[in-house]
Amino acid sequence: MSSLRNAVYRRAHKERAQPHSRKKFGLLEKHKDYALRAQAFHKKEEALRKLKEKAAFRNPDEFYFKMIKTKTVDGIHRPESEANKYSQEELMLMKTQDIGYVLQKLQSEKKKIEKLRSMLHSLDNQPPNKHVYYAEDREEAEEISARTLEKVKSATSEGIPKKIKRKLAASYRELEDRSKRAAELEKLYMDMALQKELQKKGKKRKLREDEIVCPTARPVYKWRTERKR
Amino acid sequence: MKGGSRVVIEPHRHDGVFVAKGKEDALVTKNLAIGESVYGEKRVSVQNEDGTKVEYRIWNPFRSKLAAAILGGVDNIWITPGSKVLYLGAASGTTVSHVSDIVGPNGVVYAVEFSHRSGRDLVNMAKKRTNVIPIIEDARHPAKYRMLVSMVDVIFSDVAQPDQARILALNASYFLKIGGHFVISIKANCIDSTVPAEAVFAQEVKKLQADQFKPSEQVTLEPFERDHACVVGGYRMPKKQKVPAS
Repeated sequence: MSSLRNAVYRRAHKERAQPHSRKKFGLLEKHKDYALRAQAFHKKEEALRKLKEKAAFRNPDEFYFKMIKTKTVDGIHRPESEANKYSQEELMLMKTQDIGYVLQKLQSEKKKIEKLRSMLHSLDNQPPNKHVYYAEDREEAEEISARTLEKVKSATSEGIPKKIKRKLAASYRELEDRSKRAAELEKLYMDMALQKELQKKGKKRKLREDEIVCPTARPVYKWRTERKR
Repeated sequence: MKGGSRVVIEPHRHDGVFVAKGKEDALVTKNLAIGESVYGEKRVSVQNEDGTKVEYRIWNPFRSKLAAAILGGVDNIWITPGSKVLYLGAASGTTVSHVSDIVGPNGVVYAVEFSHRSGRDLVNMAKKRTNVIPIIEDARHPAKYRMLVSMVDVIFSDVAQPDQARILALNASYFLKIGGHFVISIKANCIDSTVPAEAVFAQEVKKLQADQFKPSEQVTLEPFERDHACVVGGYRMPKKQKVPAS
């Protein structure tokens, strides 16, 4: 039956559209849309009404601590400041814990560098030291200087396989990376230690450049001497 | 062998010292007591063509002034396989163990150390090395151990005392053969910390020359030690024959 009904020609139902002249108001509002809009409006209306009612029946003696802890500035609510959330001691502890971690990492890095240095002697490079020869007379001195001139350092890493050369290069690279990291950690640790010291009690001030006795790149602080009883 | 060996060992300019190239790039000596580390140093073993294994120990220049001097490019250390060495200021025996590796089973190392505490480690090390003779005595009184020590070819001195030149001269007069050699490590701070290191070295060399020593060369131990120098030379060297100018 239904299939037959489907077969009969039915005129498509057309919704009424916004007239051309009123195009600027957007789509034509239907009852469904109106219902939604009305509901939203009434909700707001109700909320306003309730608030007005509350304000009208307000107890003038009502007090909450939040009223003095926080404020509205130009009608905008300022939340409670987080600055003094932790006590001085707690802050100190937190900072020192970080410092401890950095120090631990620094020390482990230093240990690793030492271990690497003990087995990487840079044999192919000329050492940066001084070599002095002692001669009895002029002849011997000339002989020695001639000998040292002809003693050209022969690179020892000539006949070794490529695989080993690669390993060697990797080892040296690791050493370099680690020393770089250690230097960074050291700097970080120094900064943190300075911050920690600066948090301690006592009047202090940063020395001007011309006041520093032994010049360094880092800032120098001086505490005012305080008589202890 | 699969993939070739991981380390290549080459002989160094000095006899008995080798160079290991691999993951490490280090001075090594052939281990006399196989399977034993003396101060926690790394060991590398290498297989020969005939299948025998040889073990080498890495020589840490930060802990041994002799190694630092070798890396500093000293011409001669005079400590060779089979030589007899008197070692003053042996401490715990870190360097002594390497010297014993160099001189090998035919050589002898007399290691003198005054401190009982580090002497204990020295004795323990000597138990495993037959060519080391530990002597727990003051090196200022060589007469006390003259019964133990024969004439030696080389004296190595690392005593770090203000009168180390005198100590060396005293021991040399007892034990060093004529035409023997000495290697002395000088720590500038231990002798005089008020004058620059160079001046201290020159002053010590002067003292040595006054005691029949003939220093031939001196290397500073940078970058391994600060303000240290190693002086090498001969003792009661025969006079050079004058070549008649004609």
